[in-house]
Amino acid sequence: MVEREAIVGFEEGIHGRPASDLIKLAKQYNSQVRMINGKKEGNAKSPLQMVAFARKGDAIVVRADGEDAEEAVEALVRFVSAGEH
Amino acid sequence: MRELTGLGASEGAAVGPAFVHETRRSEVGRKIIPKTAVEAEIERFQRAVGEVRDDLAEAEGRLREAGDEERADILDFHLQMADDPELAAEVEERVRGLESPESAVLAVGDKYAEPLANSEDEYMAARADDVRDVIQRIAAAITGEGTAGLNAPQEPSVIVARNLAPSETAQLPRSMVLGFVTAEGSLTSHVSIMARSMGIPAVVGLGPDIEAALEARTVALDGDEGRVVADPDPETIAFFGNVRLQREEERAELDEYRHVEAHTRDGRRIEVAANLGSASEAEEALGWGAEGVGLFRTEFLFMERAQLPSEEEQYEAYSAVARAFGPRPVILRTLDVGGDKCLPGVDQPPEENPFLGWRGIRMSLEVPALFGPQLRAILRAAAHGNLKVMFPMVVDAGEFRAAKGMLDARREELEAEGVPTGPVEVGVMIETPAAALGAAELAREAAFFSIGTNDLVQYTLAADRGNEKLRRFQGADHPAVMELMRMTCEAGEERGIPVGVCGEAAGEPAMIPRLLALGVTELSMGAPSIPRAKKIISSL
Repeated sequence: MVEREAIVGFEEGIHGRPASDLIKLAKQYNSQVRMINGKKEGNAKSPLQMVAFARKGDAIVVRADGEDAEEAVEALVRFVSAGEH
Repeated sequence: MRELTGLGASEGAAVGPAFVHETRRSEVGRKIIPKTAVEAEIERFQRAVGEVRDDLAEAEGRLREAGDEERADILDFHLQMADDPELAAEVEERVRGLESPESAVLAVGDKYAEPLANSEDEYMAARADDVRDVIQRIAAAITGEGTAGLNAPQEPSVIVARNLAPSETAQLPRSMVLGFVTAEGSLTSHVSIMARSMGIPAVVGLGPDIEAALEARTVALDGDEGRVVADPDPETIAFFGNVRLQREEERAELDEYRHVEAHTRDGRRIEVAANLGSASEAEEALGWGAEGVGLFRTEFLFMERAQLPSEEEQYEAYSAVARAFGPRPVILRTLDVGGDKCLPGVDQPPEENPFLGWRGIRMSLEVPALFGPQLRAILRAAAHGNLKVMFPMVVDAGEFRAAKGMLDARREELEAEGVPTGPVEVGVMIETPAAALGAAELAREAAFFSIGTNDLVQYTLAADRGNEKLRRFQGADHPAVMELMRMTCEAGEERGIPVGVCGEAAGEPAMIPRLLALGVTELSMGAPSIPRAKKIISSL
């Protein structure tokens, strides 16, 4: 299992377009990918769970389990913190 | 004939036959299934998801081909939701517990939609419609009601509905829609956003009044005023027809002014800028023809949060707006919050009169943990564009000097750290009568003035802006306010510093000539007012 922290860089937080792009990115990896924001936890491949997941500036944890966990966490952390898509 | 009132969600007027749309609602016939049917029912659910997915993909493809990216993106998001692995897992688990798949999918959908619907954030609340829309489609596909959406009108019509699901609006042929009238919805709900992007007038949020429109044969609407008339008489029809033509002409004429540089007829150049509340509004403002930002409110970064925003986060936000405007000036106003809004980590004692209280520069000067990171972020972001800064609620030159001193200290600090910074002009917001009366002294030290008319009016006339009964005290044309603005402009002229106006008065057609007569050289307003302001300036 790999996990790392990221600060959400998107102006609009994780919902709308960024959420949509995040899910597509997560789906490129075979690992299970979960995101944790305080008490909330969700599957990064689930639009229903990501639709209003985080606001800009929230510190979230990206956690992955599986063969490509390392790559998945790296890609998602980079995506979440960048604030550009 | 009946007149109804709602929210004007998309501008323009229209009149035409009513096309009533009844929202699809799947009724759950059977709650439970026999144990032997479990596998078959799961398969049925999966097939339904597949059908919905195919339908959505096809509709999305059509919209992309037509170049309608915005509506295609919405359907793409719906498609992903239909495909949600958690939805599938939860529905399957319930079906294994002998619940019918249609009942299961509706229950799971509700679980996700409800917290969104209850959110105070209008954007979030509107997302509940997306979830319910997809869920209803899947449920209908399971029971074999089909996934056909809204029947398309056969002639150009006004669409009347209690609520329109996002996917339904997305699939309406543009040529058959004259306008939208709905009972539910807000300015940020899907139907409103889509109507604006399609350039179709819309009135939403009619509430129970919708009944009259649902029964009408003909409906007229005015999306600027939020007015709807059910079964209008011939005179009203003619009137709305005229309003429509007039608005279209006005708009076409104003469009020509969007990207011109405004000059008065005697050759004075007036800069017309936008007031922004966040960096994400920059693009739209540029589209309206903003030549800069006369007021960038920084409060949005600080609201509804558990912690104060970091220097880094502020740096990102300020850089974003600086980059968007390139060489054009962007004036950042440092934090202006008082006892009416709560700041995390700042001990704000309750106040009886928050607008006369510990707010704006008064608070910033006393809370270095608040002001320091903001100033550092501004100085750093200035390396990426043409940033200026101004301080709110200043009453005398002493305050201005203190604030400017803190800015200079932060600059030295950053230089010692080897962090790149950019030049920043430092100005004052003239919004207290004291600042206007002391403008001559302030002008010696400030690089520019920006008159905040909203607060200047409220403080000069001692009249609360939020009080409905005090409406008549809200005009910047009161002689006392005009006199304070005159003093400000005179002081600016004497010292050769520019004077701008960033309150609502800056965009009011009747006020523009009077402000220019005082010597104001920059007007900053809500972006949609820019073309009209440029036109007025050009006629003076």
